[in-house]
This record gives sequence, structure tokens and C-alpha cells, in this order.
Amino acid sequence: MTADPGETRPGTAGAGTAADLTAAPEGAAAVVPPELLAESLGQYLRAWWLRVRSGNSGVLPVVLAMAIVAVVFQIVTPEHAFLRPSNLVYIFGLSTVYMVLAMAETVVLLIAEVDLSVGAVALFGGVVAFKLVQQPGSAWPWWAAIIVALLVCGAAGAAQGTLTARLRIPSFIVTLGGFLLFSGILIVILGGADGFVNVSASVPNQRVIYYLVQGRIAPVVGWVALAVVVGVAGTVLWLRGAARRRQGLAAPPASLTVIRIALVALVGAAVVSICNVNRGTSLVTVEGVPWVIPIVLAVLGAWTLVLQRTRFGRYVYAIGGSPEAARRAGVSLAGIRTWAFALCAATAGLGGILLGSFFYGEYSTNTQDPGQLVLYSIAAAVIGGVSLFGGRGKPIHGVLGGLLIGGIAYGVSLLNLGNLATPLEYIVPGAVLLAAVLVDVLSRRGTGSGTRV
Amino acid sequence: MTADRGETPPGTAGAGIADLTLDAKVAAVDVPPELLAQSLGQYLRAWWLRVRSGNSGVLPVVLAIVVVAVSFQVANSKFLSPQNLVNLFEQSTVYMVLAMAEIFALLLGEIDLSVGLVMGLGSVMVAELVQPTGADFPWWLAIIVMLLACSGFGAIQGWLVARLKMPSFIVTLGGLLILEGVAIIVLGGALVGIGNSRFTNEVVLYDIFYGQFSPVVSWILLAVLVGAAGAWLWVRDARKRRHGLETPPRSLTALKIVLMAAAGIAVAAICNVNRAHFGTIEGVPYIIPIVLVVLAASTVLLQRTRFGRYVYAIGGNPEAARRAGVSLPRVRIWGFVLAALTAGIAGVLFASWQVSLTTNIIKTANSYVLLAVAAAVIGGTSLFGGRGKTIHGVLGGLVIGGIYNGLYLLGVSSQWIDVVVAAVLIAAAIIDVLSRRGAPRQA
Repeated sequence: MTADPGETRPGTAGAGTAADLTAAPEGAAAVVPPELLAESLGQYLRAWWLRVRSGNSGVLPVVLAMAIVAVVFQIVTPEHAFLRPSNLVYIFGLSTVYMVLAMAETVVLLIAEVDLSVGAVALFGGVVAFKLVQQPGSAWPWWAAIIVALLVCGAAGAAQGTLTARLRIPSFIVTLGGFLLFSGILIVILGGADGFVNVSASVPNQRVIYYLVQGRIAPVVGWVALAVVVGVAGTVLWLRGAARRRQGLAAPPASLTVIRIALVALVGAAVVSICNVNRGTSLVTVEGVPWVIPIVLAVLGAWTLVLQRTRFGRYVYAIGGSPEAARRAGVSLAGIRTWAFALCAATAGLGGILLGSFFYGEYSTNTQDPGQLVLYSIAAAVIGGVSLFGGRGKPIHGVLGGLLIGGIAYGVSLLNLGNLATPLEYIVPGAVLLAAVLVDVLSRRGTGSGTRV
Repeated sequence: MTADRGETPPGTAGAGIADLTLDAKVAAVDVPPELLAQSLGQYLRAWWLRVRSGNSGVLPVVLAIVVVAVSFQVANSKFLSPQNLVNLFEQSTVYMVLAMAEIFALLLGEIDLSVGLVMGLGSVMVAELVQPTGADFPWWLAIIVMLLACSGFGAIQGWLVARLKMPSFIVTLGGLLILEGVAIIVLGGALVGIGNSRFTNEVVLYDIFYGQFSPVVSWILLAVLVGAAGAWLWVRDARKRRHGLETPPRSLTALKIVLMAAAGIAVAAICNVNRAHFGTIEGVPYIIPIVLVVLAASTVLLQRTRFGRYVYAIGGNPEAARRAGVSLPRVRIWGFVLAALTAGIAGVLFASWQVSLTTNIIKTANSYVLLAVAAAVIGGTSLFGGRGKTIHGVLGGLVIGGIYNGLYLLGVSSQWIDVVVAAVLIAAAIIDVLSRRGAPRQA
């Protein structure tokens, strides 16, 4: 709908000819990751700044936006409650579904498509998993229920992907139909408009699903786990940099690696110490890192690995950058596109299971509006830095964007708005979505790759 | 999002050379059959060639109407009763007008996902503005103010799409969320109604959907309409023939007039049957001529004005239109304004239909956008721009209304109806894609 076929992209018309040979190093620096050009930390920072100024700002805008949101809400919320540890942990739980769905949406956005059904598919997956572990019903073991739910969602995504990839029906139409289809099926499975399904913490098999979001890791275990994670990640980062340097490959300067490791350790320590503050009442102690944080990190790690280190990931970026170039290079467009939709839907299904867990293991038709869910997810991905026009973005952008969206949603709910509370639930995400897309469009304009006539 | 930039449309690569050697058959596909045919037989052959090549026009949707009618009649013999048919017409009018709104965006190769909520906001605004305890506007002023507000909103969305080049589905997705919030603010309390028979303004609005002409007036109106339209068609063709221009054969013009009269007589006859359980309710509902006026106005605008030609030009190939000197942003902005304006008209019908409006009804208004897109695409309007007419929205709206009404009669619950509509939408999109594949000029 947005890209008009048959037109030449401005700036690529003479690519490969004289223009390329005379391109200034500045232009090249904007495209190449700064690691590859920098010999020292100072050079790296300069290369990075050049990149930011040319429109490839990465996670910088979303991190800035998070800082602004945190400060503003801390000031305006009653009793300055926004940044309390209990609220911060709650925001993470609330944002989980947005983070996971935004990662799912990212894959589809990367191939320059869109999936409007992620919200409905997520709820559908959650309800399927919850139904499967029910005692009077099939009572599957929790892991089998989750796997089956993810497979069912994946199949749903593959079906939509096939229609988009093979028949070239616009993806927003196919997934709009899918949205309606799965919203309807969801209510049918729930057993009518006032049906619900829940998992209980007292049934051993259902307990795991119940605790996916709410469960907590004991404070001591949390610290130990953090130490192990930072240790392993740091070692891997350091050894990889060292190995590349030894073999004479382009590698980031050693000081940069150290800073990165220190940053990971610092953020981890901050998260663990915030989560280890007692956020219960004087009667009940509630402390420790919630399970959902390692779960989200695992999803993030898996998606980052798939997109950055596998052939599938390279093909996804290739298709997003230029489908015709990818096709001529021998990439099966239809195959990759179908897989992207399938993986997106499976990830969305996981998000749905986590959503049910967040709502104390209960699913009803009122749990969440699937339409709002998909809007928040797309907004989260785009705010995080994923481009709507394909080829640009990382899973981490979805996570950061999701956190921002969850933070805004929760912050607004903390304010005493009276009659305006309900309308703002709609207006704020709409405005945020438009703002994010505007930034995306304007930043692409900066890089000289226009979007259409 | 959907079209791959840089992929050359197959068949256009060697256009300049290939064009010269094109045989007459391919040319016939692009040219309306009227222009080539000298007799009715030739016309029908040209038309069939066109249908087979993918330019099937309204044929699929007419077939769909027949299939829907026959299958629901078999399932429930009440489906084709005059009572139910009038009910079905009335229900469908909202889908029809909304589909016509969507067609303005689709023709440009864009999409407007906010039409459902523009309709929702419009209905709330018009109901609020005539409240005697509130603004207390006369009904016509309320409608005008509301239509202006809707057009203004459309202009903003169009500006974002046309000037800032943001994808239309994202702009209108964000727009519909904002509209939902605005509509809830405008609604203020729990509900607003126009059902109070003590206030003239509310009665007028109520009667838009539920009022009807008396049977005698209905017949007279029909005769005048068919007479005027028939005379205009005949005179136009006669004048063209006199000037030696390409004209459809005389028998075809006569056939068109007869068909129009037959359809009109059928509708009037059905509506003039008494459909009340107690007392008398008979005659053509006001909304049928209202829809016809919207249809006529939009058809004239799109088929007979320079603006309409530009719309089709942009939908067909924006780059070519731009090089031909068409101001893309201006036409696009007007397209979105017209979409929102027409959706506002649907809002008047919607308010009148629902009588009292609540937050929940505003939310359901959102789901109407899917019905509108489905109706337009089922009717024969392409999702890829440049192909379609507003009559497609009317016919597609009738199909959607028939499916809703028929499933409701069969006692199917609303979530299954959603599932069926989703399937119909996807089926229509597949047909659109496949029929474009058949056409030689493919994008």
C-alpha cells in the first residue's frame, strides 16, 4: 500500500556507477557500524556520533524517551510514586506482553510487511495453553500445553504468511482478516462473551504457567544468577573481541568491550537490587527478581541470535532492504516471508501466555482488547527504532519500546484524571504511534532513502 | 508495505515496443466495450472478453448476491420475505455508505482504517448537538457542523499521508485510536439518544432511518427518477451519435433503462408491502434515496470531473501522474477528506439506526471498517488502487448486509458472524489479487 511499485528510489538511481566511487567517507561511515572503522574509543565515539547525526540513531531516541517519561511521571504522579521499586517491577510485568509482541512484530516489520493479527493471535495462544492444562479437560503437562499453543499459533501465522507471500495479498488486509478471525475463535473457545478460563497456583501442573510472570527468584539466587550471566556474557564478549583482534579482523577497541561489560553488569545490578527491595506489605514479604525478566531476556537472546547470526536473519534483512536484490541473489522470498509470519505468530502466542499469567492466571473476553494490543505492539516496535519500511531494526528495539509503552500506560493510570481516564487510554497510544512513525519517516528522510513518490 | 519497490511489473518492461505489435484482443481488454461495439451482439462479445481477462466489473458481486440470496433462502424461508428484505436494505445502507467512503481511499492506492470511528464520532456528535439540554442546534446545522468536523479530521490524516509520506494504514490506525478517545469525550456521560418524540430535531434524525414515503409517493418518485435518468441516458447517447462519437448501440441503452426500471419497480414493490406485525408500515424508506444521492454524487465526482480522473491516475501509477503534472499531495488530501466526509454521512445513518449511543456502540463502530473494506473489495474495487467505482460499494454492502442478516436469522452468534466476515474479506482479497493476475496490465 505504501511502496509504489515501479518507481526508482531516490539516491539509488546511479548506484554502482560513478556516484559510489566518489562517495565521501562520511557517507560510508553512516552505513557501516562504527566498530569497523574505529581503532580507539575516541574514534569509536566520533564514528557513532556521525552515524546518529545521519539518521541511524539506533536505541538512542528510545533511551532518551524512557528517561524523559521516567522523570516527567515521577514529577506529576501523586506522591511521586512512579519510580518506586514496586511500581517499576509492576511496569515490567505489564510491559512483558508489549515487549514480546513487539519482538514478534519486529520480524515482520523487518521484511517490510505488517501483522495486525498479533494481538488476537497472542490471546488465542494464551487461551489455548490455558485450556489445555485444565483439570477436567485434557490436562496436558504445562510444557506440552505451551508447545502445542505455540505450534498452533505458528501454523496460524504460516497460513497468513502463505497468503501474503505466495499470492501477494497486502499483509495488512490478510492480517486484518486474521485479526477478526482469531478474535472470533477466541471467544468461541472461551465459551461465549462472558466465558473465562483460569489456571490456579494450587494445582501443581498449572502452577508453572501461573508463576511465569508472578513467580520470584529468591534475592540470593538472583545475585548469583546475575553474577553467572554477567560473567559468561563478559567472557564471551571479551574472547570474541580478542580472537578477532588476534586474527587481524576488524574488532572494536578493547576499552569499548570493557565498557560494554561494565554497562551490562551495572544495569543487571540495578535491576536485581530494585527487584530485591521488599515490595510487599508489612505482613507479607514480596521480594526477588520476577521470573518474567529472565524469560524476556531469553526471548530477546534467541531472537537476536536468529536475526544477527543465522542465514535466515541475513535473508530477512536482505528482503527488507531490497526484495528485488534479495530475489536476484537467490533468496526464496516466499519461503522467508512465510517463516517470518510463522515465527512472529509463535512469539506472539508466548506473549499471550505471559499476559494471562500476568493477570493472575485468568483469561476472559475482557482481559485485553486485541486491537489495542496490536497497536501498542506496533507502536512499541516503531518507537524502539524498528522501521516500518523494512530492513532496519533489532529485537532489542522491541523490548525497549515495549517498556516505554508500558511505562506510559501505567503512568497515565496513576494520574487522577477522572472522566478523561478512559479517552486517554485511546488517545495516548494513538498519539504515541503517530509520533513514532513520524520520527521513523523523518529519520529515513535524513538518510536520503525516501519512501515513495 | 506490500508492493516490492523496484520489481518491474511483468509485461511493462518492453512496453514501448510491445505496444505497437499488440493485437486487437489485448486492446479490447483495456477499452470499455461500448467503444468498440456496433451492435448488442458485438457488445456482449466484447464484454465477455473483458470479463475473461480479469476486468469482470460487477459480475462477481452480482453472482455473490445471488448465491447469498439463494443459500439463505434455502436455509430459512423468511430470508426473502418482503419484511426481511426491507430490513436487510436498511441495515446494508450503513455498510454501503461506509464502503463508498473507503473507496475514495482505495482508488488512490491508500487505505483508511479510521472510517468506522469517523462514523462513530459523527453519530455521537450529531446526537449531542441536537440535544435540547445541550447545544440545541437545528438538525441540519448539527449535520453540517459534524460533516465539517469529520472532513477536518480527514484533512489532517490526508496531510500526514500526502505531505509527510507516512503509510496510510498507520496514520489511520493511530487516527482511529485518537478518534475513539475523542468520541468518548464528546459522549461525556453514559449515553446520548435521539429517540425523544417531543423534540422535532430528534424526530427528523430518527426518521432518516425509520421513516418512509407512503406507497403512492414511492411509486411517483420512482417514475420520476427512472424517467429522468432514462431520458438523460437516451439524450446523451443520441447527442453523441449525432456528433459521430463512439456510442453504445441503441439497443444497449434501451436495455439499461429497462433494467433500471425493473430493479426500481422490484424495490418499490417489496417496500410497499405492509411489513408491520400490528398496524401499517409500508413504503420506501427515506434512506434508500439518500444512498442513491450519495452514490450519484460520488459517481459524478469520480467519473465526470478532472479530480476523478486524477484519482484514477494516481491509483494507477502515481509516478506517471506526477510526471503528467498532477499535484499528488492535493488530490490525496482531498481523497481522505472525501472519505471522512462520506463516513460522516454514514454517521448520520448510524446514529439514526442505533437511536441511543453508548461507549460500547462507539467501540463496535470501529469493527465496521472491516465490513467497509470487505464490501468495497467484494464489490470489485481493487486494494491496489486505480480500479473501482462507488457502485461497487453499494453492491458489496448489500452482500455484507445479506450475510449479516442471514446468519442472524439462522441464530448464529456474533463471534461466528465475525469469523464469516473475516473469511469473506480474505476471499475477496484473493479474488482481487487473482483477477489482477489475469489482467495483462498488472502491478
